[in-house]
Amino acid sequence: MYGEKITALLKSINAGLGDSVRLTSGKVKLEGEVMPSTEANDPDIFVIKLKSGYNIGINPKHYKVEKLRKEKITAKFHKLSIKANTELSKVSLIYTGGTIGSRVDYKTGAAYMLTKPEELLYEVPEITDVANVSVVPLMSIASEDMTYLEWGKMAKAAARELSNGARGVIITHGTDIMHYTAAAISFMLRNLNAPVVLTGSQRSSDRGSSDAFMNLYCSTSIAARSNVAEVGICMHHNSSDSECAFIRGTKVRKMHTSRRDAFRAINGRGIALVRRTGEIEYKGDYRKIDNENREKLRVLDKFNPKVALVKVFPNSDPSVLEFYTGKGYTGLILEGTGLGSAPISPVEKGKSWLPYIKGAIDNGAIVGMTSQCLYGRVHPNVYRNLRLLSSAGVVYCEDMTPETAYVKLGWLLGNYNKEEAKALLKRNMAGEISERTDYDAFLV
Amino acid sequence: MDDAEYRKLGFKCGLEIHQRLDTNGKLFCSCSTEQDGKSIGKVYRMQRAVAGELGNIDMSAQFEESKKRLFEYNLFRGSTCLVDIDEEPPHSLDIEALKIALSLAHAMGMNTLDEIEPMRKGVIDGSDTSAFQRTMLIGFDGSISANGHHIAIPSLCLEEESAGIEKDYGTEVAYNIDRLGIPLIEIATSADIPNPEAAKEVALYLGTLLRLTGKVKRGLGTIRQDVNVSIGDGARVELKGLQDVSMLDKFVENEVKRQRELAEIAVLLKKAGAKVGKATNATNVFANTKVQIIKSKLDNGGKCLAFALPGFAGLLGREINPNRRLGSEISDYAKTVGAGGIIHSDENIWSYGFTESELKELRKTLGSREDDPFILIAEKAGIAENAIEKARLRAIQAIEGVPVETRVAVNDSSCTSRFTRPLPGGSRMYPETDVKPILVDENMLKAAALAAPDLERETEALKVQLKDEDLVRRMLKSPRLQLYKSITGKTKADKRLVANIILQKFTELSRDSYPVDGIKEERLVELFTLYDSGKITKQAIDEILKRVSKEDGGVGAIVRELDLGKITGPKLSALVAQIKKEIKKGDADSVKSAVMMRHRLNIDGEELNSLL
Repeated sequence: MYGEKITALLKSINAGLGDSVRLTSGKVKLEGEVMPSTEANDPDIFVIKLKSGYNIGINPKHYKVEKLRKEKITAKFHKLSIKANTELSKVSLIYTGGTIGSRVDYKTGAAYMLTKPEELLYEVPEITDVANVSVVPLMSIASEDMTYLEWGKMAKAAARELSNGARGVIITHGTDIMHYTAAAISFMLRNLNAPVVLTGSQRSSDRGSSDAFMNLYCSTSIAARSNVAEVGICMHHNSSDSECAFIRGTKVRKMHTSRRDAFRAINGRGIALVRRTGEIEYKGDYRKIDNENREKLRVLDKFNPKVALVKVFPNSDPSVLEFYTGKGYTGLILEGTGLGSAPISPVEKGKSWLPYIKGAIDNGAIVGMTSQCLYGRVHPNVYRNLRLLSSAGVVYCEDMTPETAYVKLGWLLGNYNKEEAKALLKRNMAGEISERTDYDAFLV
Repeated sequence: MDDAEYRKLGFKCGLEIHQRLDTNGKLFCSCSTEQDGKSIGKVYRMQRAVAGELGNIDMSAQFEESKKRLFEYNLFRGSTCLVDIDEEPPHSLDIEALKIALSLAHAMGMNTLDEIEPMRKGVIDGSDTSAFQRTMLIGFDGSISANGHHIAIPSLCLEEESAGIEKDYGTEVAYNIDRLGIPLIEIATSADIPNPEAAKEVALYLGTLLRLTGKVKRGLGTIRQDVNVSIGDGARVELKGLQDVSMLDKFVENEVKRQRELAEIAVLLKKAGAKVGKATNATNVFANTKVQIIKSKLDNGGKCLAFALPGFAGLLGREINPNRRLGSEISDYAKTVGAGGIIHSDENIWSYGFTESELKELRKTLGSREDDPFILIAEKAGIAENAIEKARLRAIQAIEGVPVETRVAVNDSSCTSRFTRPLPGGSRMYPETDVKPILVDENMLKAAALAAPDLERETEALKVQLKDEDLVRRMLKSPRLQLYKSITGKTKADKRLVANIILQKFTELSRDSYPVDGIKEERLVELFTLYDSGKITKQAIDEILKRVSKEDGGVGAIVRELDLGKITGPKLSALVAQIKKEIKKGDADSVKSAVMMRHRLNIDGEELNSLL
């Protein structure tokens, strides 16, 4: 945003963004178009775009500024006609926003969300050779701004598309909390008998190097051609544009801030690899589409937001649990240390988590234990501290990630009574708990 | 031709000089700017043209995408990081590079900005992993006076160097990305350079100015001179990849000739009502052919496509530059999509082994007359279709005139060039929002003024040091100027000797295939320090340079290993006495030649003379 001085200057010459202006100071003459000032610019610097395409920042106090003409360029997107090949499987692409749906304004550099989600398909026309894709604009928000309400909307929209004849569903989504959404939808869609694929991109699709193109193509391949009846995330398997990994929605986590292959299988090996060319290589056990299945898809989309994810760390103050119970929280997932521990007998007595955990449970809360190691299974018996915690009533959440356990508990408390919720927390419902762990399911 | 004749032709010529800087870190990350590592891994990427500023896909970008290439990026330990492979946002701008750029802007009397705005410029040939290059305007409206030519300098930019091509496989290109992101200065001149010779003078002047900063990389490819050339009847052509600036004038002369010839050809084609036929599948015509280059493709499931060129008779083979014909221009287009080349009927067609009946059948398939030329491409399916369309595109352009192109220099004695891609449009630039704009304050400008290279001051200083005007002139034009300054700043060795060695001796050794420009600076400092302290002779310097240019190692160790230590003082006296005894002759000449025969590299001739 421009500061007062430049705002006043622009007003005085009746110029707005995009208008052509001339700046003169002695022999120096500059002509260009008025560009917006972003959060990163100094508010007293006037930014103009020269004919060469370069933007420059000028302090206008040394210049005479005149307006030359009004902006006349109107941006228009190139349009390819997207052919619907009705002989191909019908796939619905539910659009929710995120980097994959953001574009840069090539003049200002500002990112904005697509107003016409079908523009996504213009960039990857080859997906229309794989499926008869229809775009369903559901919302347009950054993933970090999403809540359980959006999860519910997505689950319902996916169910609606499937009951209207879609063979599979793709949900394009911001990457930051995509793994929370994937877990939530995994729980919400009961008796799912089709592939539901979440995908996104780490580089926005306005740049030629974007990962969005291959992610969309591979996701379409899974939705249109795989026999998987699960919710999962389909993104780059490595830094190359060679293949995507399709990973179970309850066993996946964003493990890197910026790499294309940020989404990794945790305590599992992923369901399949999808090559750039569309071939699918299945990797492990998964729920298959069952053509004999006559049971209807149900959506349990309620969610109790009074559940918190709390991290245990050295010097941590366990009284934070009182804060949550005081606010009416009925579920707490702890991200414990190692096998699922927390300080029990520290020298400084007040730092013991045990009395606070007991207090929370006495208050009616369900307390679940996961590990900040992320990989591996928690265990209630190996050490004395673990035994003390589990005897106090803490539910050990097996090999669930903290995020999946958090989503699961919120969902359970939204759809079941407390006793059912407590019992179901440690029982597998959507592939979130595996009874055995393969040797090679680590750092994959 | 003189200036007036060039003016009459409508000659326009401007330069873009790109110089890699010798900073500690890259422009937007802390990776080393040295490129001496071994690749530690690869990533593979595809890129595609995306809608540009006005929703159009830039023509050059589209051309690159039509090549459907897979890019292979080689990674290196100290000189590539996640930023370089487009896996992490850029870090903040390298301040050292910015200071150098500002000092150069000052040296050319340019105006500077109050806030520098980093931009992204679309690049889709794969040479940038992000599909854009980060660049920013640092200075505008300056000027230089090079050998009497007063030339305006409209812009100075600071940008990221692209990745270097390791290998081009046609459908796949391998890049080394250790080079990607090294700070690069781009200086653009106005297009009013009056003649090819002046273009060379301006390039040399700017090269010297850059080297005077003392902060530029040396060695092959670290400075590039791109030339924009056009004539009235021609079109703007950007000529890239010139390696030897002393040949720049020849390249410009040839480009002028090429454009004149092509303009003439266009007139003739129009007069003849020339047309470019449709691409036709001629695979069946050659099903049983003995023409090896077609047979080998067809045997492997390939295709043979052809088109007729009525009205082109005699012109495909017309020479437009030394050893280059209109046919070569068309072939260049086909090659950009992976074809090996084309066959055209204006060349010696019988040498391929075609039979008359094949040619008759081909003409029938193409529906063309006997004297109509044709172009034929036999390639793998996929490549063949693309290549024939590129060839047709170029043939159609030939009727219209000279196409606007980016061309790359063929660095041999012919001083010609070949097509690489259409000229990119100018509009594909938008702000790099991942990097904060940089406020330029008074202190930065004062520092820039102090550090600004000053050619006059430098010339005077060199005159005092070298006492030889010719040597001074050569030094100022030499890419090794910075090396000279650095060595003479770090050792007390005789400056004239240093200058002579790195100008004269280096050139000689280079010619004999010793890669002396790759010798690390610290080795040269060791070498001249040893010489200055009397530990080695002048003759030994040669041997050490030869060795260290091929295999890096400490100079002290090399001296010991090759037994190059200087024999002097009492040791030399004892040696002389011993040799006198051995040869049983006492005359100075005999003793001297016997001593020198055995210890030429270890003995200073003058000292020996004084003993005899």
